[in-house]
Amino acid sequence: MTLDRRELLKRSGMVSAGLAIGASAATHTVVAQDSEGLVFWDTLNSPPRSTIAEDLAKAFSEAHDGISVEHRGWETDELGNTLPRAVEGDQGPDVAQVNNGEALAGPMIRAGQLVSLKDYVGEYGWDELMPPGLLARNMYTADGTTFGEGELWGVSAEAEIVGFYYSRKIFEDNGLDVPTTFEEFEQVLGKLREAGQEPLLFGNLDKWQAIHLFGEIQGTYTDREYLDNLIYRRGDASFEDDSMVKAAEKVVEWKNNNFFLEGFEGINGDDAVPLFTSGGGAILMQGSWAAGEVQEAMGDDAGFFLMPPHEDGGTVLSVGGVGIPYSITTNASDPDLSAEFINTLVSEDAFNAFVDAGLLPAGDIPEDKIVEGTLSGDLYGNWNQALADDAVGHYLDWAAPGFYDILTGELQKLLGGQTDPESFVKALQEAYASSFE
Amino acid sequence: MQAPSSNEPGELIAGATSLVAPVAPRRRRGLSGGIEPYLYLLPGFLVFTLFVAIPTVGSIILSLTAWNGVSWDTATFIGLDNYIKAITDHRFQIAFWHNIVLVPYFVLLPLVIGLVPAAVVHQLQLRGARWLQAGLFLPYIMPGVLIGVVWAWILNPIFGPVNKILKQLGFSPPTWLGDFTWALPTVGMIGAWAAYGFCYVIFIAGLQKIPSELYEAARLDGANTWHEFVSVTLPGLRREIAVVLSVNLINALRAFDIIKATTDGGPGDRTQVMALYMINTAFGSRQAGYGTAIAVLLAVITLVGSMLVLRLFGDDDD
Repeated sequence: MTLDRRELLKRSGMVSAGLAIGASAATHTVVAQDSEGLVFWDTLNSPPRSTIAEDLAKAFSEAHDGISVEHRGWETDELGNTLPRAVEGDQGPDVAQVNNGEALAGPMIRAGQLVSLKDYVGEYGWDELMPPGLLARNMYTADGTTFGEGELWGVSAEAEIVGFYYSRKIFEDNGLDVPTTFEEFEQVLGKLREAGQEPLLFGNLDKWQAIHLFGEIQGTYTDREYLDNLIYRRGDASFEDDSMVKAAEKVVEWKNNNFFLEGFEGINGDDAVPLFTSGGGAILMQGSWAAGEVQEAMGDDAGFFLMPPHEDGGTVLSVGGVGIPYSITTNASDPDLSAEFINTLVSEDAFNAFVDAGLLPAGDIPEDKIVEGTLSGDLYGNWNQALADDAVGHYLDWAAPGFYDILTGELQKLLGGQTDPESFVKALQEAYASSFE
Repeated sequence: MQAPSSNEPGELIAGATSLVAPVAPRRRRGLSGGIEPYLYLLPGFLVFTLFVAIPTVGSIILSLTAWNGVSWDTATFIGLDNYIKAITDHRFQIAFWHNIVLVPYFVLLPLVIGLVPAAVVHQLQLRGARWLQAGLFLPYIMPGVLIGVVWAWILNPIFGPVNKILKQLGFSPPTWLGDFTWALPTVGMIGAWAAYGFCYVIFIAGLQKIPSELYEAARLDGANTWHEFVSVTLPGLRREIAVVLSVNLINALRAFDIIKATTDGGPGDRTQVMALYMINTAFGSRQAGYGTAIAVLLAVITLVGSMLVLRLFGDDDD
């Protein structure tokens, strides 16, 4: 018995040693493969997005003598946490989605982990894909210190805008029209509550939707210059601004008027979508990314509108922006090939694939794709209008690293009656100011 | 337990082998005689070094730097500044306080809920207890994230069964996890639910070793069930209680998964705890150095807490 056990131990020791040698060999193989083809990491991790990414990769491979193009779809957080360390260890992909601003792009540029796209912009015409207001979100100065200007570091395939999905049937039953002014919107919400409907659906247990609610209302009181300065951290922009206080007051007023779904504090944002599509309320606040799910469940009974302005014909900065842009990492074995591949991801074929899947690509949607009276028609029509008006606002949590926690926490306090609008704005400004220290 | 005077572990094993195996031990050649035992230790030692020793030392070094977690070039040595910052950081203090508030929920409540059925099953010699055991242990082996997701669903104010029933009974229940008053007690109760099965199983195992003569003697002395519980069962479970208290205390101080999956620290910062704050600081705010300092503090607090529990409740004889 004893000898057997010893023999076993010896063998297991050999196995361990073998595994160690094997593991190092495997690592070499990955590196070798990496240098022969392209590896790209993004957040397109489930159909239809992952299918689009893989189809585009396949087409690119076929056009380049069967070169290997390997796709890996990640969760956004996971990608953001893994990518810089992978690139640092020379194990990163050639092309990756790098989250905008100080979320990731800034720190990676400063660490010399990304390749500037300035030499490719002219060749591929990437500066003409989007209006300057959107393009700026993928720009940084060469030293990575100033966001929103300088050189292009990434190209977005998709775009996002937050608005309001509504049930045409509930609106019709209650004699309501799509509001064209902010005041009309408030009247619609009030009438829906009186009629026994849940007026505005969203869920804030997982915190993020209040950023959109607050941003949408704040977008009616603000202007492009102020918001850009705040987000791009230029000049003396401060959260202690009239538009912030007014928006906070309005959020509290809407809460007190029972405009929000009863129990919104206790449900997750994504849970509000099935609640809406199953007839649990009249209006759903959500981003364009939910269009597919809403369309599938409700067909064209669902419509979409953007936050209306205080005065007819005015401009509102709707919460939204570009999708996470594709960048070239300094691990790329052939940056020219990587750039060509990025161009495939934002090509006309890609654009059409996103539209066909009911998704929102970055750029003007051709008129022939817009069908009136349909959800996608409403979404694309409104999107084109927002682009034309340069009215795509920002996500306020971009203002500073780690600002998401502060903003969501303070918004929950505001909605829970634990703070007042002035203190709320003051707390945001304190955190914002401290991020410059 | 004095070790035998030999300095050669290889000889010890060889000697032991000769006792067990009738065949005379082969004379080893070359290096294997002295090194072989160490080679057996090597895989474990390598695993320990790679996954425990190096990360621990690395974490302590990282905690002394200002680092954004992106590139090593950006790391600068700042001494104990991160620790000073943590001690004076209002948000860390709040998170620490919430961990303390969770102690009764994560430590004492599951102990009581686990102890009572264990004692009842043992003292009354209930049949079918094995099934009960399996059922009670189930929550403990479920991943915390899954427990969080399931409870968030159960307590969902719109779809969830709890509020539906309460509303039908004429109550107007809160939103539980989204309510500033109820959120922390609610995650505490979920934590208690997740832990009591472990306590139950440890106690049931401990009860097996209490001699039945003690119960008989107690009965002869006129003890009722309560007296048996207080005078025989509880003292007999002292070691198990110490184990359960220290494991549960560690869980209370490092609470993360259930809270991440239910409230993510909200509403406001009402359920913010140290581990969650550590993750948000290291990754969300890209202050990896500061986040690591919080992790080291959390480890030290947990170590001190569990040593205190073992000192207070552990067996003095050891």
